[in-house]
Parts: sequence; C-alpha cells; structure tokens
Amino acid sequence: METGLPHYLIVSALLFSLGLLGVIARRSLLVMYMSLELMLNAANLALVAFSRFNQNLNGQVMVFFIITVAAAEVAVGLALIVALFRKRQTSHVEDLASLKL
Amino acid sequence: MNSSLIVVEILVGLLGLGVLLADLWLPARNRRQLGWAAALGVGIIFFVSLKDAAEVTYAFTAPGAKTGMFVQDSLAVFFKQFFLLAALVVILMAVEYSDRFATGVSEYFSLILFALLGMLFTASTNDFTLMFASLELITITFVILNSFQRDRASSIEAGVKYLILGGTSSAIMVFGIALVFGSAGTTNFNEIAAAQKTLATSPVFLTGLLFVLGGLLFKIAAFPFQIWAPDVYQGSPAPSTAFLAVGSKAAGIVLLLRVLFSAVPAITAQWHHLFAGIAAITILYGSLCAIPQRSIKRLMGYSSIANAGFLLLGIAAVSKAGATGIIYYIAGYLFTVLAAFTVISVILARTESDDISSLSGLARRSPGLAAGLTLAMASLAGIPPLAGFVGKFLLLKAIIPLGAQDPVYYGLLAVAVIGVVISIYYYFGVIRAIYWGGKPTDLTPIPTSWGVRGALLLCVIGIFWLGVMPDTLIQISTPAVEVLRPELPLGLQAKP
Repeated sequence: METGLPHYLIVSALLFSLGLLGVIARRSLLVMYMSLELMLNAANLALVAFSRFNQNLNGQVMVFFIITVAAAEVAVGLALIVALFRKRQTSHVEDLASLKL
Repeated sequence: MNSSLIVVEILVGLLGLGVLLADLWLPARNRRQLGWAAALGVGIIFFVSLKDAAEVTYAFTAPGAKTGMFVQDSLAVFFKQFFLLAALVVILMAVEYSDRFATGVSEYFSLILFALLGMLFTASTNDFTLMFASLELITITFVILNSFQRDRASSIEAGVKYLILGGTSSAIMVFGIALVFGSAGTTNFNEIAAAQKTLATSPVFLTGLLFVLGGLLFKIAAFPFQIWAPDVYQGSPAPSTAFLAVGSKAAGIVLLLRVLFSAVPAITAQWHHLFAGIAAITILYGSLCAIPQRSIKRLMGYSSIANAGFLLLGIAAVSKAGATGIIYYIAGYLFTVLAAFTVISVILARTESDDISSLSGLARRSPGLAAGLTLAMASLAGIPPLAGFVGKFLLLKAIIPLGAQDPVYYGLLAVAVIGVVISIYYYFGVIRAIYWGGKPTDLTPIPTSWGVRGALLLCVIGIFWLGVMPDTLIQISTPAVEVLRPELPLGLQAKP
C-alpha cells in the first residue's frame, strides 16, 4: 500500500490528541509541558505533509517559525518551572492553588 | 521592499534593545530613569506613527504577487497608535511600580517594548504565518511579565498558568493553521478571501478555522478559553495586568476583525449564531462570577471577560456598524482600564493587600486617585456621559436591527442588558468602598510622581472625550472600518 497524505494526517491528528490528553490529564508540570511540545510537533508534521503533497513550500517555512517559537517557549517555560520549584519545592499543578476566590 | 512601512516597528525594536543595552552601563540606582527614557521614546514614536500613510500597501510580498504578509491600511494605523498609547501609559505605571521588583527593572521596560512590537505586527497581519509569529511574541513576553515578581509565589503561579494555558491555545491555533494551509493551499488572507466560496464547503478548512478561532478567543479571554484570566490578572504585577487587559485583548480583537471580516466573511456570516452564543455566554459568565469577588485585580479579571463578551457583540452583528462599535468600545476600554490600573498600581506599590476593602478612606487620603478610579468604574459600568456608555450604545445599536429578522438577536440583546445591570452592581461596590468604606486605618496621602499624574490625566481626558464627543472618533474609525468587508447572513438585512 502506498503511503499518502491521509496516513501522515492521521498520525498527526493522533499525536495532537495525545498531546492534548496529556495536558488535560497529567498533573506534573514537566509532563504537561512535554505534551504541549507534542501538540506543536503534530502541527509541524501536518504542515510538512501538506507541503510535500501540495508541492507548496510555504508550509515548510511555517515549520521553521514553529520550531523557533517552540525553542523560545521552552527556554522561558523551563526557567519559570525552575523558579517555581525553588519557591515552592513542587512542580505539580495541585499545589498551584493559592489564587482562588 | 519598502522598509518605510515598518519604520514604527523598527523604532520600537531598537528602543527595546537600547533599553536592554543601557542597563549594562547604568548604576543600579539609576535604572528607574530608563523607564522615563522608554516612555519618552514611545511618545516620540507615537508622533512618528501619526504620519503613517493610510492607503492600503502590502509588504513582504512574494515576487510577482499583488498581496503580502504585512498590510498597512487605516485599520492597522489606528490600532498601532492605540498600542503605542497603551504602552506609554503602562511604562509610566511601571516606573512607579518598579520599587517592588527585586531585580531586573530595565528588563521589565524592554519586555514591555517587545510585547508592544508583537502587538504592532498583529495590527498589520495579513497572513496566518505573521499572525502566529506576532502572537507568540506577545504570549512569550507576557509569560515573563506576569511572573516578574519572582519573590511572590502568586506571581510565579500566574506565570505558570499563563504559560500552560497560553501554550495549549497556541498549539491548537497552530494545528488549525496547518489544516487551513492544507485545504486552502495558502496562508494569505486575501488569497483565502478569493477562494472562500469553495473553502466554505471543505470540512478540513472549517475545522482549521475553528481551531484558529480558539487561539484568538484565548487572547481576548472569551468563552470557552476564559479560564486563565482571573488567576493571571490577580497574580501578576499591576502594570503587566494592565497591559494584558488592554494590549493583549486589542491584539486579539484586531486579528478577529481581520480574519473574520476580511479573510473569511462568508463563513463568518454562516456562523453568526455561534458568535452570538459565545458572546452571550461570555457576558453572563464574566458578570455573574464578578459579583462575589473581594480582590480588585480578580474583579478586573472577570470584568475583562464580560467586556470580551461585549466586544464579541460587534462580531455577532456581522456588519460595519458592529465593527465601528468594536473599535469605539476598545478605544474607550483603553482609557478606562488604564485609568483604573494606574490607580490600582499606585496603591499596590505600597500595600500588599489587593482586597477591595483596603480602598476604604482613599477619598480622604488622595481625592485625585479616588476620583480617577471612580470615573473608570462608572465608565466600565456604562454610565453616561463617559466612554463606556457610548461604546455599549454603539454595539447594542448594531444588533437591534437584526433582532426584528432573527429572534436570536433579541435574546442576545436581553443578555447584554442583564450583563450591564449586573456590572453596575459590582463596579459600584468598588466606588462604595472608596467613599463609604469602613473606618480607614491609615490616612496619610499616597505620594504620586508627575508621570503617574500625567498618565491618569490623559486617561480621564480620554474617558470624557469619547463620552462627550463621540463623532470625532467615529470619523477617525470610518476609514478603518472601510477596510473590512463583512457579509450579512442569508435572509438578514442591515435595515429591516
């Protein structure tokens, strides 16, 4: 069987759903953060697949933007999680409940 | 390409880098002065931006293409001046607040400028790629701005919540952009608009568009992406909250206008009931949850959700009258919310508690600050003759003619009126605390700098200007609205 566009899109949709599930269901900030990156990479896979099968390079340019932004986001996010850990000795979302009515 | 089109952006970027570099040579006690320099720089750039050409021009064009990623038109120019004004007031606020930061005062000023740079690019966005890049510039800088008081656990908590929820919504948006690109073959708004009749039947495109809308609704804190707003507003330093409330929301609004009324107006017309529903739920959620709040910043968070709902009324109206209402409302919101936060940040720079009851005695301590906050609350509640009243009036006026043809709009109108009535209750709770609060413990006047007084005066003048002379801004915004091409849904007419 020939591997076509739908196969890549199904993998991409699966990765996206797994990432979303991870963000919603997991309680460790680091795992949630990894799931976020999974969602971004699912979009990357879809963009590259669309680019390849539609003969249009614009999608691959977009992928470079996403990779750069994801790197910046990771740098800021990990620094923030470290700051949180120093302050509260925790990286679990249950402990982030001081801001409530 | 013609680089004079992005001269404002280049200047703001250089100013941000300059502030960052100047930090290296300045002794620590002088770093606060950098804030004055940054404010002066933004003021000068504001006057440079007044000369911007208003005819539609594209930049970052592909060879041989008529359209580009970046568009300079009346709508972009209007919002650029809006963002520059907001950043000016926020920087003045931050100079006053900077005593509360343990370290990195000058970084705070330069981060405000970088967030401003992202906002300036959103105003000119004509392509989903630029939209993503500029929105991420805003989101990532705001993660740092929100968690800037690293010694306070609540500030870090606000930053982490914004990071996770903001990251999720941008990931959803990026996946949406991938689907839009795959089905349309392009990410340019004009090219999508040309093909929208065929794209309106493609399920992949419609799913992608919904995902993109998710990312934008997060930015303006509308249902179902509103959950972050109260926590982040409460935990962040007051100047960050102010910039988040005004700048980030306006960036989301200008992108919603561009995408919905310029790239895919036909699909927006099909979805008009969806927007009406989101607007109604957002207004009700924000208004009802604001009632029991005790923290003034958290109250502003829920009020910001309710106001996002009012802004969405203009989208639900799918007409140029609705777009005019949105532009008027967001301009009034700029002056009103910045006036409120200027007072709040001056008070919070000295006390730890952000409880509404700690405002008691403010009328006797500092009558000027008390009057500013009272005017802001009255304007938010929609009391004539202040800015908030005219904004709400224009938005409601845009949906009334549709009500006679589609009963859904009368329901929306009823919800909006209920929201206004509830909001009068909770905004006046703040005014009551200022003038008729319990016995104040501390009656010493709150010292304010010239910068803060100037910023507050500017906001108060703005509130009265937009409330008393609505014609001037409506005339300014007319060419901005002409850029948009909203289409009315089948069977509905602008005038019954």
